[in-house]
Amino acid sequence: MEVLTTLTIVILLYSLYLLYKSYKLKCSTNCYLVDYVCFKPSPDRQITTRKCGEIIERNKNLGLAEYKFLLKVIVNSGIGERTYGPRNIIEGREESPTLDDAIEEMDEFLNVCVHDLFVKTKISPRDVDVLVVNISTFCPAPSLASRIVHQYNMREDVKTYNLSSMGCSATLVAIDVVQNIFKSGKKSLAVVITSESISPNWYSGNDKSMMLGNCLFRCGGSAMLLTNDPAMQARAKMRLKCLVRTHIGANDDAFNSAVQKEDDMGRVGVHLSKDLPKAAMRAFTENLKRLLPKILPYRQIALIVFHVVKQKLVQPDAKLNKVVAQINFKSGVDHFCLHTGGTAVIDAVRRALRLSEYDVEPARMTLHRWGNTSASSIWYVLGYMEAKKRLKKKERVLMISFGSGFKCNSCLWEVIRDLGDGDVWEDCIKDYPPKTLVNPYLDKYGWVNEETEETFNREERSESFKNSPW
Amino acid sequence: MPTQPLPDFSSSVRLKYVKLGYQYLVNHFLTLLLIPMIATCVLELVRRGPEELISMYNSLELDVIHILCSSFVIIFILTVYFMSRPRPVYLVDYACFKPSASCRVPFATFMEHTSMICEDPKSVQFQTRILERSGLGEETCLPPANHYIPPNPTMEAARAEAQLVIFSAIDDLIKKTGLQPKHIDLLVVNCSLFSPTPSLSAMIVNKYKLRSNIKSFNLSGMGCSAGLLSIDLARDLLQVHPGSNALVISTEIITPNFYKGNRRDMLLPNCLFRMGAAAILLSNRRRDATRAKYRLLHVVRTHKGADDRAYRCVYQEEDSDGHCGISLSKDLMAIAGDALKSNITTIGPLVLPMSEQLLFFFTLVGRRLINPNLRPYIPDFKQAFEHFCIHAGGRAVIDELQKSLQLSAEHVEASRMTLHRFGNTSSSSLWYELNYIESKGRMKRGDRVWQIGFGSGFKCNSAVWKCLRTVKTPVDGPWAECIHRYPVDIPEIVKL
Repeated sequence: MEVLTTLTIVILLYSLYLLYKSYKLKCSTNCYLVDYVCFKPSPDRQITTRKCGEIIERNKNLGLAEYKFLLKVIVNSGIGERTYGPRNIIEGREESPTLDDAIEEMDEFLNVCVHDLFVKTKISPRDVDVLVVNISTFCPAPSLASRIVHQYNMREDVKTYNLSSMGCSATLVAIDVVQNIFKSGKKSLAVVITSESISPNWYSGNDKSMMLGNCLFRCGGSAMLLTNDPAMQARAKMRLKCLVRTHIGANDDAFNSAVQKEDDMGRVGVHLSKDLPKAAMRAFTENLKRLLPKILPYRQIALIVFHVVKQKLVQPDAKLNKVVAQINFKSGVDHFCLHTGGTAVIDAVRRALRLSEYDVEPARMTLHRWGNTSASSIWYVLGYMEAKKRLKKKERVLMISFGSGFKCNSCLWEVIRDLGDGDVWEDCIKDYPPKTLVNPYLDKYGWVNEETEETFNREERSESFKNSPW
Repeated sequence: MPTQPLPDFSSSVRLKYVKLGYQYLVNHFLTLLLIPMIATCVLELVRRGPEELISMYNSLELDVIHILCSSFVIIFILTVYFMSRPRPVYLVDYACFKPSASCRVPFATFMEHTSMICEDPKSVQFQTRILERSGLGEETCLPPANHYIPPNPTMEAARAEAQLVIFSAIDDLIKKTGLQPKHIDLLVVNCSLFSPTPSLSAMIVNKYKLRSNIKSFNLSGMGCSAGLLSIDLARDLLQVHPGSNALVISTEIITPNFYKGNRRDMLLPNCLFRMGAAAILLSNRRRDATRAKYRLLHVVRTHKGADDRAYRCVYQEEDSDGHCGISLSKDLMAIAGDALKSNITTIGPLVLPMSEQLLFFFTLVGRRLINPNLRPYIPDFKQAFEHFCIHAGGRAVIDELQKSLQLSAEHVEASRMTLHRFGNTSSSSLWYELNYIESKGRMKRGDRVWQIGFGSGFKCNSAVWKCLRTVKTPVDGPWAECIHRYPVDIPEIVKL
């Protein structure tokens, strides 16, 4: 009798222990953002409007038509005077970039940013379990992930992943990789590094669709530390609530909207087609369809369902525009981190989600201060919000980014505690928002709009640039 | 390449084993405690005899409610236990790219092209010597762009090669498995040295019209061991997504990577790397268990990047004339051996039978306590695996691994023959080797396969698979038409 009781009790206790273990495993599936650091290149790498002019002037393949086009792009870009470029372009070597130029640009970023992350979070590189690097347009062998392992002397069993050519939305792909690894339950620390390589990717031809990249992309990067350890929750900044990825590459127009290829003269550049905005909106709509049920409060969802059903019963053939107009996108989200692809992108998203200027101010200011730093831009936008002390406990931040393919990725974070760390915005946050965002290029290069093919004389104009007072 | 003796499997290994043993004991303490308790209970029950047990049961006066509740509790506990276990990952099938005969590069063609492209006769001579000793055959293939004199490495040509190799492999896989592209949930592509915008994964999404909620990942720059890295990523993803399948593509695009200079350490890849690709379908669905070929048991990754020599041993850089190429250092063999040693110390306890582990442990103890001159015991991995797929990086790599793991010629035959027929196809070579073993009719149900990949970084990755059903010949694949001619005897030096 006693034997049976003992046996039952033992088995029961062991079962309870198994249940407890399963429960602990479930608790370790959250993804916390412990901290992040954005990259601020050295001041000698700043590209002012004047510098932009000089660089463009150097390209002997450009004529008046191209100058006019570039003027229009730069004036409308929303990019300011203090963005950063790579050394080889500033020093006049953009037409013949070497492997060393690209590696030097990456080293400058990795040496500063990754080091700062470890110092800020007081984590040793040997404690890192997962390392995901995404740098789209440059992948040497050994990979940049291996470069970091080497530089920081990481452990042998570190899981490294080097993502490449996934465009400006790749940072959320990296977070997706980390999130999936975290769900296995084992307590881990993950470092995600995001940047873009500008040096080897200067387009030296005169195909207009390929010159946009030259005007818009700037140097930047960020490093993030994530964990699923509940013990680090107190010092973490945000918790990941959901992540939605959409890929409309099945549509040929969307797939061909941003393609890296050779022009007629054999020069490599990224061709951005006229279908790009349409592809972006399509991808965005697809993404919202899956994202909204996850982020909107139940009341909103119920209201939308009610309106849809009502419309279908009353006017079965009518479009759902009126219903879409009823959706309050801001009911489930407090802050919006939009990818700073350009003013057009920010305006398009603002219109689609019916956001106010206040909501898109962080994105606009990031575009002005840092330019389009590709995948890392959303972290600069987040940094702006933090520096302005906008992020309070329990508030929700939505990150939206677009990338070639065509992809639209979004994720929702919940703020764990009131945040106020200025990071790279510390020295200039008081100057933002500035009184005007108008580009001074408009005044300095306004002459282009008055010239015609007959009156345009390249050498004469070139001389007058050199002698001009600014 | 100079042959250096591999380091001994001793000093740093012993500490690791002791540490592992301690960890195992402590982590499973409660479970281990259970064993003596259950044993005592069982003995007691046996002692009592059946009549006494029946009378005990009757005295309990269990009614329906008691029985129902206790059954419910037991079933609940068992369900939670089974649900918290890791999901099995099945390899449903895979397909390798079969190059057409028009892409073949026999020795004569290679030497003729080299002598016309290379200005330095010494470089031509060097490449001839390498080719003579390489272990490659006359049927290896290079992409169309490399057949031009000089090669024409445009982006368009590189994309064309990517489309050719990847789409062929996927088409074969679709034919073999009846896979519907719309049903693919996860996509992982690895290609080290070519990453255009949009990525190769986006190219596949576009060609096969995959779903918009697909999770795609494009890994790049991770070297010849990246195939197993992709399998690891796919496995982690499949743990989180129930009832899903994953398409993994491993390839290397040769077109943009032809080295135009004269540095010897950078000319080696020109001689050894050839065109290839593999498409693998993984799944965690229970219904695929019956038709799957293999089940993934373990993936172990080792990264030696922290060491300077290891990091620099496969390094992409520009030579003094500005030509970009990948230099292979003379230390490659030693570093590969070191990386393998580290990998083995992790994988050993997972796969070796208890007999080998105990032998190793006792020899270790003996060396410490009794006689330091006792020879260190190298575990016999032939007891743990029936088949070995060693990355066909080059003849020297296969020779060294055969010696250090004490493998017979038959064990490394798949690697040698793959190197001979297809050359070094980088990350996809492991799949060509597996296909060789299947084509030879050697793959039986229950067999275990060990795939070892090496790559820049320096990384050594291993995967262990278990065969779920005997693979019947003839096997459709790149070996279909030539398997009857293999194995061939590969001479040390082929005189050119």
